[in-house]
Amino acid sequence: MTAGGARLGAARLGVAMKWVDLRPEIDSLTGAVHTDARFSGASGADQAALELALQLGGTWGADVVVVSVGPAGSETMLREALAAGATQALRVDGDTAMASQDVARALAETFKGLGVDLVLCGDWSLDRGSGSVPAFLAGAMGFAQALGLVSIAPDGRSPCGLSAQRRLDGGRRERLRIQAPAILSVESGAARLRRAALTRVIEARKATVEVRPAPTPVGAPHLAPTRVGPYRPRARTLPPPSLTLSPRERVLALTGALVERTPPQTLVLEAPEAAERILDQLRTWGYLT
Amino acid sequence: MTERFDAVVVGAGPAGSAAALVLAQGGASVCLLERGPFPGSKNMYGGVIYGRILDGLIPQWWDEAPVQRWVTRRCTTMLTAGQALTIDYRTSAWGSPPYNGATAFRPDFDAWLAGKAEAAGAVLVCSTTATGLLRNEAGAIVGVRTDRPDGDIEARTVIACDGVNSFLAKEAGLYHHAEADHFTLGVKEVLALPRRDIEERFGLRGLEGADFEIVGCTGDVPGGGFIYTNLDSIAVGLVLSLPGLAASKRRPEDILAEMKTHPAIAPLVEGAELKEYSAHLIPEGGYDMMPELGQDNLLIAGDAAAMCLAAGIWLEGVNFAIGSGAAAGEAVVEALTRGGVVAQPLEGYRRRLENSFVLADHKKLRRAPGLVLSDRVQSRYPQLACNLAERMFTVDNPSPKKGMVALGRQEIKRSGVRLRDLARDAWTGLRTFG
Ligand SMILES: Cc1cc2nc3c(=O)[nH]c(=O)nc-3n(C[C@H](O)[C@H](O)[C@H](O)COP(=O)(O)OP(=O)(O)OC[C@H]3O[C@@H](n4cnc5c(N)ncnc54)[C@H](O)[C@@H]3O)c2cc1C
Repeated sequence: MTAGGARLGAARLGVAMKWVDLRPEIDSLTGAVHTDARFSGASGADQAALELALQLGGTWGADVVVVSVGPAGSETMLREALAAGATQALRVDGDTAMASQDVARALAETFKGLGVDLVLCGDWSLDRGSGSVPAFLAGAMGFAQALGLVSIAPDGRSPCGLSAQRRLDGGRRERLRIQAPAILSVESGAARLRRAALTRVIEARKATVEVRPAPTPVGAPHLAPTRVGPYRPRARTLPPPSLTLSPRERVLALTGALVERTPPQTLVLEAPEAAERILDQLRTWGYLT
Repeated sequence: MTERFDAVVVGAGPAGSAAALVLAQGGASVCLLERGPFPGSKNMYGGVIYGRILDGLIPQWWDEAPVQRWVTRRCTTMLTAGQALTIDYRTSAWGSPPYNGATAFRPDFDAWLAGKAEAAGAVLVCSTTATGLLRNEAGAIVGVRTDRPDGDIEARTVIACDGVNSFLAKEAGLYHHAEADHFTLGVKEVLALPRRDIEERFGLRGLEGADFEIVGCTGDVPGGGFIYTNLDSIAVGLVLSLPGLAASKRRPEDILAEMKTHPAIAPLVEGAELKEYSAHLIPEGGYDMMPELGQDNLLIAGDAAAMCLAAGIWLEGVNFAIGSGAAAGEAVVEALTRGGVVAQPLEGYRRRLENSFVLADHKKLRRAPGLVLSDRVQSRYPQLACNLAERMFTVDNPSPKKGMVALGRQEIKRSGVRLRDLARDAWTGLRTFG
C-alpha cells in the first residue's frame, strides 16, 4: 500500500507528543483519577515516535521538530526531546482536557506553518486512549495516515520513502510503503528512546521552547466520560462447546445448568464480617492464597 | 565533550541539595546530579524534619517549605504484648514560628530544597546516575562518571551525598568497618485516613501533628516503631536491626502488621487504607561506624557518611544531612576562594563538622545505638515499666496501697533484670543522654 503520492519535500520531520501522568492513581472504589505533574512525561509510544523520527532525521539529514499541546509542565518533556536530539521544540498552550479535534487542529496549524509533511506520534495517549488525535491530525492536514505501526524504516528505494509494519488482529502484520505527506502513529514497542548525552541535557535546560496560543476551539463535541465508575474486569470469554454435542448439551455447557455446584447464598452481615466472608470465598476459589 | 564545574554534588537528597545551595550561594559553579526523575522521587523516611538547621540557609523557610503538619505532640511509648506506657508531651510553642519538627513528604521536601539550590544557580541534572569516580592519569579524583553518553563531569571537588550504601565512598575506600549490625532496615506504610479522623484519634487541630516513637513493638527483633501524622494520611513504620531480622527469619511487613494489631495502636490505624509501602536502609551505627570524611578532592556527607543520628528517642537524619551537606559546601567555597589558591577542602569540612552539632551529637551519643538495641532496653525495661505502672494504678482493696520502693523492688526481681545491669545501663544512659 502507498499512503500518499508526493515525495518528502521539506527536510523537516514533525513529532507530536503529549505530556501525561505516567502513573496516575486511580481510586478503586470511585474510579476517580488523581494525577501528579511530577510523574508526568511522554508515554512509551510518544517516545518511540521521537526515536524513530530522530533515526529518520539522521538518515535523511532532516530537522526534527517536536510539538506538544499542553500546559507549561510539558516543557520539561520538550526539553528532554531537545536533549535527545530534536532540533526545535514548540508548545501550544492548552490544557489536558482539550477536545481531540482541537488538539489536532492546533498541531496541524503548527506543523503546516513549519512546512512539516511527515509527522510521527504515539498510537494513543495514556490518559484518553482513544487514538483519535493522529486520525484527526491526518484529517486536518489532509495527509494520508498509517496507524498503529510497529516498525518504520527507510525503504531504500525512493529518496525519502518508508517501509513500515502494522499490527493486525490474530498476530498478523501488514507491510506498508509510505511516502510523505503522511501521519504515522507508532506503538510503544516500535523503538526505545535513546539516552540523551549529558552535555545536551545540560544545554537543553536553557534552550528556548517557543510557546504559541491555542487556536479557538471549534466547539466540536468532546468525547468526555459521562460517568466515572470503578474498574470492573471484562467478562470472561468462554470457548464454544464442541460441535459434536447435541444442541441441548451445548446449551447446558454454555449455561452451566445441571452442573453440580454450591448454591448461591445471600448473607446479611456487618461490613467487617462481610469482608472476611468474601476473602474466605476468594481463598476457597483459589483467587487468594 | 566533558562538562566542567567547581563542584559536582552526587545525590539531590537533603545533604546534596544543602551542599549545592551553599556552593551556588557562594558563587561556585555546581552540578547537582540525581538518579531519580526528580529530587525526592526515590527517597523515603519516617516523616519528621527538624528544620532549625534551615534557619541559616533559607530565612523564614517555614513560610514556604512543603510541610504537612507541625509536630506539637510527641509521645514515647513502651509496649508489651498487652500493655502500653506512654510519655505524652505536647506544647503549643511548637505550633508557631520558628517551630520545631514538621511532617513532610520527601518528594515534596527534597524537590523544594533542590529547587532552592537551582534558583541559586546550581545545575540540577535528574535521571542521571553517577557510576563512579573520574580520575586523572595520576589517580587523583577529578570528577565523576555518569550513565549517560559523554557522561563524564569534571570538577575540582566531588561531594558524595548518595545516601546510605554510598558507592562513591566505598569506591574511594573510605569505609573500613561497615558491618551489617551498623545498619537497620526501615519499613513504612502510608495509610490514608480522613483528616477529621486523624484529628480525633490523635487529638489534633488545624496543622498540629503528632509523633509517636515506640519501643517493644518488634517482637524478638531489636528495633523500634513510629507513627507520624500527615494531613490526611499517617506513616506507620518500624526500624529493625539487620542481623536480628535475618536471624528471626521473619518478614518486616509481618512484624509491622503485628504492631498494628496491638490494642494501643489498632484504634489509631483501623479503617485506614494502605497507600504505599516502602523500605530503606538506615546507617544507625553512629560515630563508631563513620567512614573517613573524604580524601583529596572528595567529601562525603549525610547518610553516605553515616551521619544519621539514631539514638532511640531520636531518629534524626535529614537535619544531620543538611548540616553536613552545608558544611561540605562551605568548606569547598572556602577552599576555592582562599587567596585564589585552590586548597583541599577536607580540613575545613572536618573542622566545621567538629564545631557543629553534627559530630558533637554523634560523639556524645556514640554509646546510644548499642544501649538502645540491647535486649534489656528492647524488652525487659518496657516490661518492667509497664508492670510497675500496672501495679501502681491497680486498686487492690481491701489490701492497702504498697509503697513505690517496695513495688519497684518486687517488679525488678520479677523482671529478671539484675541490679548490676540496671545500674550499668543507668550509668551508660546518664553518660550518653545526660
Ligand atoms: C524508615 C526511615 C525513617 C526515617 N525517619 C526519619 C525521620 O523521621 N526524621 C529524619 O530526620 N530522618 C529520618 N530518617 C533518616 C533520613 O531519611 C536520612 O538520614 C536522610 O534522608 C539522609 O539524607 P541524604 O541526603 O544523606 O541521603 P538520601 O536522602 O538517601 O538521598 C540520597 C540521594 O542520592 C541519590 N543517589 C544515590 N545514588 C546516586 C547516584 N549514584 N547518582 C545520582 N544520585 C544518586 C538518591 O536518589 C537520593 O536522592 C529515616 C530513614 C528511614 C529509612
